[in-house]
Amino acid sequence: MPVPVYPSGTVRALLGTEHVSEATRAALQARLQAPAYEPQFLAPETFALLEAVAARLFPQPDRLEQSIPLAPAVDQRLAEGRADGWRYDALPPDREAYRLGLGGIQEIAQSRFQADFTTLSPAQQDAALQLLANGNPPGTTWQTLDAGRFFEELMAELTETYYAHPLAQEEIGYAGMADLPTWTRIGLDEREPREPVS
Amino acid sequence: MPDEEIIEEGVINPVEPEIQDPLLRALLADDPVAAATPIATPVEQPQAILAEADEVDCVVIGLGAGGAPLLARLTMAGLKVVALEAGPWHTPEKDFATDEKAQEFLFWNDERLCAGTDPLAMGKNNSGTGVGGSTLHYTAYTPRPLPADLHLKRDFGQGEDWPFGYEELEPYYEELEQFLGISGPTPYTWGPARRKGYPLAPLPLNGAAQLMVRGAEALGIATSPAANAALSARYYQEGIGWREACTNRGFCQAGCSNGAKASMDVTFIPLAVRHGADIRPNSFVTEIERDERGRVTGVVYTQNGEQQRQRCRHLFLCGGSVETPRLLLLNELALTSGQVGRNLMAHPGVQVFGTFAEAVRPYKGIPGGLISQDTHRPKDADFVGGYLLQSIGVMPVTFAGQVARGRKYWGKQLRDYMQGYNHVAGINILGDCLPHADNYLELAEEKDARGLPKPRLHFNIQENERRMNAHAEALMRRIWAAAGATDIWAFPRSAHVIGTARMGLSGDDAVVDADGRAFDVPNLYICDNSTFPSALSVNPALTIMALSLRTADKFLAKEQRRDG
Repeated sequence: MPVPVYPSGTVRALLGTEHVSEATRAALQARLQAPAYEPQFLAPETFALLEAVAARLFPQPDRLEQSIPLAPAVDQRLAEGRADGWRYDALPPDREAYRLGLGGIQEIAQSRFQADFTTLSPAQQDAALQLLANGNPPGTTWQTLDAGRFFEELMAELTETYYAHPLAQEEIGYAGMADLPTWTRIGLDEREPREPVS
Repeated sequence: MPDEEIIEEGVINPVEPEIQDPLLRALLADDPVAAATPIATPVEQPQAILAEADEVDCVVIGLGAGGAPLLARLTMAGLKVVALEAGPWHTPEKDFATDEKAQEFLFWNDERLCAGTDPLAMGKNNSGTGVGGSTLHYTAYTPRPLPADLHLKRDFGQGEDWPFGYEELEPYYEELEQFLGISGPTPYTWGPARRKGYPLAPLPLNGAAQLMVRGAEALGIATSPAANAALSARYYQEGIGWREACTNRGFCQAGCSNGAKASMDVTFIPLAVRHGADIRPNSFVTEIERDERGRVTGVVYTQNGEQQRQRCRHLFLCGGSVETPRLLLLNELALTSGQVGRNLMAHPGVQVFGTFAEAVRPYKGIPGGLISQDTHRPKDADFVGGYLLQSIGVMPVTFAGQVARGRKYWGKQLRDYMQGYNHVAGINILGDCLPHADNYLELAEEKDARGLPKPRLHFNIQENERRMNAHAEALMRRIWAAAGATDIWAFPRSAHVIGTARMGLSGDDAVVDADGRAFDVPNLYICDNSTFPSALSVNPALTIMALSLRTADKFLAKEQRRDG
């Protein structure tokens, strides 16, 4: 995959250099150049809800042009039936948990604001999500679905997707992908020329 | 040659796979492509399985730290051995990316159900697949246990003693350190004097390790560069040639791409291959067949969608603390002690993170650069056993996930905190764990894609572990404060699943004897972390390998006596 020219000094600019292995470059470029995504598992309105939730859990006002997509990774995983090796026994299988949980978020929005989650203001959406994060939100869904565990799993998946993206890695000054040929300056306050100042 | 029909009649197949998970059934029904894939094919009837005519001396199931060393030992003794590994055989130089998401294929990603008050995180935390098993993603941290770790019960009246002492494992530790090319300090600060030092000097200390030295010194705690199974200089490896030195890429837990880390695929496995081992990757064992007397006659496995049978005279089960008891339970094998699946232990592994003024850039250098075993038997302990302290480097995706789970941060607060990633350093402990009746593995009603019951792991941290974690967290907070950290926080966690097919002196309360041989089944050996009678206050990999070599030696000695 050809690497476009990125602003010098950015982590993205490192991707085109010999400091990044072919396998590493392929993984990161694929995320940078991901095509537009059509939901495969969730219904369009449920997918839109997940996107709205993700936009509050990871607000990106600094990326109006190209925000890091988070909902596609969830939908794609559910469509393929992939797991990450474990599941809280308290939760149903992932597909069911996401369907129920997203429905439950609508219930919180309806109960608290008498409106669809996607129509709420950002502050109202945050308030609804905080109720979920606190572990005891309103709604019949949460009588059977463990709110705390569901929120933790949702948040962990979105977080791992977010920080796997080169733009997020650039945001935190992570340059670990540029590990060729070696790191020699590894101690406190030691920086190699290719690492960003932090 | 015996008549195949007669052998067939003696085969016992208790496994009756079917797909019960309604979602999975729906998936298969919805999607004709998925339904056509081999994974969705219902398990065929036994008579449809191709009979493997050749009987081999030994079959080894699982090629991690438990299976690989004994595989090399057995083949070097001239035995005909087939090794079955559930996962693929990788080419790390080409396939392994310096990217956490891209490396997720190293983990055992089939779902385990995690129950109890303190469910164990599995996946990347506690499992592995592929030729090399979880050594493909272990941190390479390879301290020896201290002798007292093996007799907790004698010293405290709680827990369990090993059926032999440290002196029995010592020669194997020494052999492993030399063979694997372990980098570490000589002399070693803790434990009995050693006959031989580490073959290579310690790896360089990264920022987190330097900070831990600073904090520990201020509190009068001794530290030392840790023993790590990653090369601080080129090293010659029999069967493979020169292995190159570690490049400090800090990615041990997501796979080493240059062979510097002593995972099994660059050490014991090439050695075994050179001596004629027959290694079959992508081979998932479902059935262990026996004759009327209860002796193992062979195994049935699925390779690339086809069912195969391999007959053997001896079976070595090395699938780890989840898949080993799962296979025993599925096959109703070696169960008379009632201990299969019981005594599930996990190391207390609380982590403490802090933010420093200095740049740490925690993605560089061997992650566990530093160790202290001063806390092996703390004077002010209100608990049984003890723990070690370890500095830790962190990869960004794993760390961010821990922040989300542990600090419950989300939104702007999470993004703001992660901005400080390059200034974060961690310490964690690894402590002993006592077995408890509430902690066990069982087969769940829910089935996996193969139609086999998923394992369910019950784990409830008990008073002893709670006290140990509290003691350790308080100490680590003091170390980080003394080192100049701000915003110190703790992430509670458990590491390494241990003990679900325990070793002991009697078949009344143990699954295998001191040699690793099943009390119930004379030609079945088990060798992995499931046989540990107690958890030990160190990372398990080195001891699993030591047990593996020892089991092979005990087995070979027994065979020799029989021949003579």
